[in-house]
Amino acid sequence: MLQGALAGLAAGGLYAVLAVCLTLMSRLVRVVNFAQSATAMFGSYVAVYLAVHIGLPVWLATVVGILLGGALSALLGWVISTWLAEADTGTRSAVTVAVLLLLISLSFILFGNKPQPFQPLLGGPAFEIGGVVVSQVTVVTVGLAVLVALGCRAVLTRTSAGVALRALSERPTTAELLGIPAKPLSVAVWAVTGLISTLMISIVAPSQSNDATSLAMLVVPSAAAALLGGFRRLDLAVIGGLVLGMLQGALAQSDSLSIARYFLPFVVIAGLLLWSQRKEVWDAAR
Amino acid sequence: MNALRVAGLTVSRGAGPVISDVGFELAPGRITALVGPNGAGKTSLLEAVSGVVPATRGSVHIGQTEITKHSRVARARLGLAHIEQGRAVFGGLTVLENLRLTARTRARVDEVLELFPELEKRRDSAAALLSGGEQQMVVLARAFAARPAFLLIDEMSLGLAPVVFTRLLPVITRFAEDGAAILLVEQFTHLALGVAQDAVVVSSGRVTYSGDARTLLDSPDTLHSAYLGET
Amino acid sequence: MPLAERKPARSIGIPLLIAVVAVAVGYGLSVGLEGYFVYLGMSAVVAAIALLGLGVVTGSAGMISLCQLTFAAVGAWVVSALNKAEAPGGFLVWLLLGGLAAGVVGILVGLPALRLRGINLAVVTLGLAAAADLTLVQLQFPGVSEGISVLRPDAFTDDRSYFLLAVVVLVACCLAVYFLRRGRWGSGWQAVAFSERGTAAAGASVRTSKLTAFAVSATLGGISGGLLTGQVGLAFPASFTSIQSLALYVLAIMSGAHLIDMAVFGAVLWVAVPELLKRWGVPQDWGYVVFGLLGVQALTSGGNLGTALRELWHRRARSREGNGHVGIEHREVETVDEAPPPGPPVLVVRDLSVRFGQVAALSSVDIAVPEHGILGVIGPNGAGKSTLVDAISGFLPQAQGEVELGGGPLTGPPTRRARSGLRRTFQQDRVPPGLTVEAYVRFVARRRLATREIADALEFFGCPPARTPLSRVDVGARRLVEVVGHLLARPRILLLDEPAAGLPHEEHVAFGERLRRVPARFGVSLLLIEHDLDLVRSVCDTITVLDFGQVLATGPQAEVLADPAVLKAYMGETELL
Repeated sequence: MLQGALAGLAAGGLYAVLAVCLTLMSRLVRVVNFAQSATAMFGSYVAVYLAVHIGLPVWLATVVGILLGGALSALLGWVISTWLAEADTGTRSAVTVAVLLLLISLSFILFGNKPQPFQPLLGGPAFEIGGVVVSQVTVVTVGLAVLVALGCRAVLTRTSAGVALRALSERPTTAELLGIPAKPLSVAVWAVTGLISTLMISIVAPSQSNDATSLAMLVVPSAAAALLGGFRRLDLAVIGGLVLGMLQGALAQSDSLSIARYFLPFVVIAGLLLWSQRKEVWDAAR
Repeated sequence: MNALRVAGLTVSRGAGPVISDVGFELAPGRITALVGPNGAGKTSLLEAVSGVVPATRGSVHIGQTEITKHSRVARARLGLAHIEQGRAVFGGLTVLENLRLTARTRARVDEVLELFPELEKRRDSAAALLSGGEQQMVVLARAFAARPAFLLIDEMSLGLAPVVFTRLLPVITRFAEDGAAILLVEQFTHLALGVAQDAVVVSSGRVTYSGDARTLLDSPDTLHSAYLGET
Repeated sequence: MPLAERKPARSIGIPLLIAVVAVAVGYGLSVGLEGYFVYLGMSAVVAAIALLGLGVVTGSAGMISLCQLTFAAVGAWVVSALNKAEAPGGFLVWLLLGGLAAGVVGILVGLPALRLRGINLAVVTLGLAAAADLTLVQLQFPGVSEGISVLRPDAFTDDRSYFLLAVVVLVACCLAVYFLRRGRWGSGWQAVAFSERGTAAAGASVRTSKLTAFAVSATLGGISGGLLTGQVGLAFPASFTSIQSLALYVLAIMSGAHLIDMAVFGAVLWVAVPELLKRWGVPQDWGYVVFGLLGVQALTSGGNLGTALRELWHRRARSREGNGHVGIEHREVETVDEAPPPGPPVLVVRDLSVRFGQVAALSSVDIAVPEHGILGVIGPNGAGKSTLVDAISGFLPQAQGEVELGGGPLTGPPTRRARSGLRRTFQQDRVPPGLTVEAYVRFVARRRLATREIADALEFFGCPPARTPLSRVDVGARRLVEVVGHLLARPRILLLDEPAAGLPHEEHVAFGERLRRVPARFGVSLLLIEHDLDLVRSVCDTITVLDFGQVLATGPQAEVLADPAVLKAYMGETELL
């Protein structure tokens, strides 16, 4: 069990980072971004293509891929904040569903629907506890998850752009009347979450099932983790991601439990939603 | 110094115009009281000037620059500030964070805090935890911190006891004396007319009086008929 | 009440006629088309049923559902399992059971997501789709490993006749959706998509409305999956992947599948686009890329193919009729109703307080409205008038104090209060534009109404005729339609929150005259919040003045309006302190 749980920790770190990105997007730009991991998948696939077929050094290809992921995300953000500036979260998120479909299909066309020949950026064991090997990837992803969450919190509380973003998320019209430019700041959030997710996928994908659909659907367990923090709290999102990854890893140890593993994110989502609607709330807007 | 001129402004919502052919001018250093019964269209008028809602017809100028089609942010950068109805604080931000949104320098934050010593000791609390009066002080201080040339204030007193509001009025007056042009929408009509030089009365979306504030204050009949109907 | 009076014969006849024509066309196609196209046609019919379901949940009820093909897989699973077990009843019974099973799964999946707003349903359904993807690959459908093919019904074994059967099933589904949508459920879907508060205020349950939409959608998904199993014989997971569910959702959005013809058209695209790409030698995945792009385009422009076409049609029709929005039009009403004298209090509010954080919005408010009476509530902006209505009607669970209706305590959520006879209207427009005036009024009234009764009530307030779509009614008149609907519900009391706000000023007098006669005509007491004092003066005998969330004065109209304290509060004539 412990072996499995620790093996699942790398995936957990990935969920955690994606959950932090989803939380940021939901809080700051009013979108549940279903294309969060698909964008990252696309960026990292381009990196693989550049490394394998064009012959770019792996590090350079990876950097290009990460930048592309950020740019794609920024483009999507620009589209949404231009045409759907005043639309509700549902409509804005529906656009990302269409983009999710678009990116998966596009990657099928460009790269085929088989797993990609990723070259590991990190390899080998980092250390051993109790006879269980912990890989370098695990250490780096978990470390990055914590770092990203802390970093985002610091940006939101310490920098003027972060404070402006929080103001925008609370009362967009009031913030604009104070001269805070909504669109550039929103697009920046999209770009940054795109960069972070692509970076994480590039690190973890070599050691995961990395076909386009699997990578794009990482948004499901990540959403489950983000839901633990109510799409508001970064710390709970990180914890949710790590725990979910470990649970899945533990369940993967036994063949008879594998279906339970598939349904775990769904069960977590359903359970958290049931829990969070104990109290009745009437939103003034609707 | 430039003036803000509104001419022939018409705003439509749903069925028909809520504001028809309204014009006035805000001059530096002067307070204009905009009064009229609930539902007369005062809020819509302010929103059209600051760009919250689009104008159907008419124009808004700052000096020679027409800003009718400018974005909210562009108007803010030209020195226009709009304090919305209700308490428009960012509740999740601290008092200091609210002020830093508009203050260019730390010194400016300290300057506006001096106007409201009550806020000084609560500078690190979340604005949501402040009382209604304190929240309204934060909103005023935040607007002042940007040093706007034109300030539109929509019903500061909403839900505030008059005693709190009378605490805020002198600060607004002083800000006008420093050169700002202020448009004051207020349901405490007499208090507003008391501090204003100019007055505009709107009723059912049209201007029914435009001129000296003192004169209006001295002729209660004009006001009463605007508020209580023709009886 | 005779049925014919309630539903004119042609409102049933025309859809049935279209259905017969559709089946005839289906027969023509099944005979006339080439074999390969008949097979493609079957696929299109299967997709059309699934899209029809999506149209209900996304189009009518405004939710995002991303697992339509998972429901189809449930249907396929049930049909395959029953086929393998050689269950009695044959294919059509299995198909129905498959649909029902999918409906039950839909209810179970929907329950966690439906009370909350936002896009929880999208997250849950994508989660389910992803899990089902992996599970299906591992388990496979029953009978597949043994090669037990699903038996088509005896009379429909060859492709041509099975296509005809599929068309008949599709037409039956279309009819079902059409009539459901015109009934209470359908009105509930439209209402909940536009405003949850408006739905609850009409005494309808928000949760039930969403759940029925989701269950109907899942059932249709299940039927489509079962039908597919009959088409292909052996079901494979590749037909039910989450990517295809996503694509189907995007297609529903972009074609406007809440319109039945557009669901069918969308299904034709679903089959035709990949087929054309195949013929042109282009990878078929481009089809989804195109759907994705068109979906983004549809969402960002806020329209879809179906509404665009409808709009074009209406514009032409309108240019013939020559007008856009319909407003109010008052006719003289001759009968003078004898007003009964006010009776004992029907609504009593004691010691009602509401706090929002640090701010006291209402403190210890007492009011009473007599039977057949009209109480006016006035006060400056921010005095707490709308909060009062929200608290009495149950939208503010944190409110403290007692509310009594007809002598008994009134508690619980808004839906329950509305059903116990306390109704309210809203300051904002909460009338769903997707319905006709009549459908909306029936939905709000929650009781059987004769067409005549509706027409009379509409005419009394000068509202547009019953058959007008609400999308063509201007905002002021819409709010009067809202008033009419609630009055026809025959509540004990109706709370009106600035009902005249959207009306042109000239109409206020006529509206006031009507309101004045409401207690006599409808047997309903009124609480009227209004800022036009002329209107209040003409309608209300007694007035309560709120100021800073407290009752400043209450009593007969003349007394209250002459009170200097009231004048001060209203005009802010407060002495400098």
